[in-house]
Amino acid sequence: MGVRAALRRRAVARPAVLLAAVPGGTPSRLAVERAVRAAGWPLVEGPAAADLLVVAGRPAPGAAGWWDELYDRLPGPRARVSVAEPEHAARALSAGRDLLRAAGGAAARPARPSGRHGGPGPGGPVVAGPVVAGPVSDHLPLAERGDDRDGLRLDVLRLPLGPVLLDWPAGLVLRLALQGDVVVSATMDPPSPAPAAGGPPFWDEPWLRAARGEPVARAAAARRLCAAHLDSVGRLLGVAGWAALAGSAHRLRDGLLTGADPAAVRRGARSLVRRGERSLTARWMLRGLGRLPTALARRAGVTGPALAAGGDAYDRFRCWLAEIERSAGLLTAPGLLGAGERVGPRGRLGGGRPPSAALLDVLPRLVEGSEFGAARLVVASLDPDLDELSRAAAHG
Amino acid sequence: MAEAAPLWWALALPPVLAVAAAATALAAAPAGHGVAPLRELARRRRRTVAADAPLATLGAVLLPLAAVSGAVVLPLGFRSVSDLAVGVVWFNAMAALAWPAVWLAGWGPNSALSLIGGYRFLAQGLAYEVPHMLALTTAALGAGSLRVGAVVEAQRGLWFVTWMPVAFAVHLLSAAAMAFWGPFDRPVGRDVAGGAAGELGGADRLSFLGGRWLLLVVAAGMAVPLFLGGGHGPLLPAWCWTLVKTAAVLAALLWLRRRLPAVRMDRFAAVAWTVVTPLAVAQALVVAVVVLGR
Repeated sequence: MGVRAALRRRAVARPAVLLAAVPGGTPSRLAVERAVRAAGWPLVEGPAAADLLVVAGRPAPGAAGWWDELYDRLPGPRARVSVAEPEHAARALSAGRDLLRAAGGAAARPARPSGRHGGPGPGGPVVAGPVVAGPVSDHLPLAERGDDRDGLRLDVLRLPLGPVLLDWPAGLVLRLALQGDVVVSATMDPPSPAPAAGGPPFWDEPWLRAARGEPVARAAAARRLCAAHLDSVGRLLGVAGWAALAGSAHRLRDGLLTGADPAAVRRGARSLVRRGERSLTARWMLRGLGRLPTALARRAGVTGPALAAGGDAYDRFRCWLAEIERSAGLLTAPGLLGAGERVGPRGRLGGGRPPSAALLDVLPRLVEGSEFGAARLVVASLDPDLDELSRAAAHG
Repeated sequence: MAEAAPLWWALALPPVLAVAAAATALAAAPAGHGVAPLRELARRRRRTVAADAPLATLGAVLLPLAAVSGAVVLPLGFRSVSDLAVGVVWFNAMAALAWPAVWLAGWGPNSALSLIGGYRFLAQGLAYEVPHMLALTTAALGAGSLRVGAVVEAQRGLWFVTWMPVAFAVHLLSAAAMAFWGPFDRPVGRDVAGGAAGELGGADRLSFLGGRWLLLVVAAGMAVPLFLGGGHGPLLPAWCWTLVKTAAVLAALLWLRRRLPAVRMDRFAAVAWTVVTPLAVAQALVVAVVVLGR
């Protein structure tokens, strides 16, 4: 028993973190990722490997029980904390570790959150829905059959994806019908409204503020744009299984957001972009996935990099890389952003619909017929930002 | 001829391999992942709804067993626990046990994503196994024996890697693929939330992921007697050469992982069958002609 307790103490010194981001919680998510990396804790892909559940953002009221369900899948000893404000990330993480230490002592009971950092509290979960890798439970209907792409009749499994997956747009729930691991159809849950307290979508903030007439430095906008694309590229590389380069992208992003020296950022960005561009394997693996020709993109109202790339996932990847290098060159640009400059990281802002709405419109069409891993790459290569939509849903 | 090893070697084999696997895992891990095994021991097992728990546990236990059984023919210097007359075939058979192991671990928890992970490994097996068998055959052909000791003996003058470079490269690729590691890690990929390992917790998880590191070390270690001259080398004692060469192979694999994104089987399988397999056949043919002409 003494050995077990000692092991537990060692293990919780660096707890494995499962990060669940809530729409509108992008600043908190970034702060948690930064704090987790600074502490040297592992960020894991599913509840089985996690000790500590961290909810980033301010969960909307309603649909209680969802976070409990996710939390119940952690094997334990376990704990959970929520980070509503980015400034509290580091404090919440160390509070989580203290909770884990306490939970390790009382191994028989599942850890119950308590105190200020204890769980989502009365706020409750955002989206009623599936958790990671939903197991087929007893009371689900049996798989029905359907024609597959080769004209055979095969079982169809309905599998919801999201909202908590690693490198997945926060809040997105994609309902897939799978035959084997081929996606035969996909539908999307409507985005949940964001809590009223939230500010503008984090990645679009400089342009939206400039549109309202506030003075926004051009350099600050370039910084945000570069960081947004680094975030997207890092997530795409994470899904593509290139952890080393994904880590570099995220470190660069964190550096940008914490005010790193422009020259150092430029150097880092150049090396990252070269490595990405030179990789033949990346080209081989991303070519032909989620083809979105310019005409189709324009008709769907897509703007931004996905339109400019005018092609498949690899083209979008290259387009992001080029944008990273370009915006890294503008980090010291003088002057203010004009009120008419309204192109954010994901496209044209200020119209009736946010740019991510168009990306979500084309998404189901692009994933249908692809293999599961390819479908995840397609989602990551579009990287819609549901913060934009949940704001729209809350207002409209 | 390899000398017989004392009996206690058999008992020492699992802990020695475990230490080697742990050292490799530590060298490969980014900061913070170092205490992973301790973490797993401290955790409870977990259950999923309507799971076939015995099957999942069987898969998790089978993986390290396969690795350790394969290592029986692995010589340290010129001695192995058992220098079987069909050592090369034995190693391949044990490595193939990884197929049911990963499949069972993926099937058992009754979860869609872990099942996809299990399936992915079968597809991977179909892609790497045929070229790998050809590579093993090539080494055995060069020595005229299926005995690993004899293969090492045949490299007294010239290492096989010098005249069978394709077979060596195929073996290295297969080592990563059979341990579903590095660029071949999609069966337990992050895109399927951990895949075949995604629903395993506690001791099962430790056994499965530990077994994977063992398998990587054993498969990389096998490259040394087959292609890199085993214990042959100047100055240093034979056992030391084995360790140095194994470490070099593992370092090469670690470097490869940092350089490459993951390889998906829906793309790789075609190349494996149309490019890698013919190359491996051509390599075997060249070696056969050389052996006949000697």
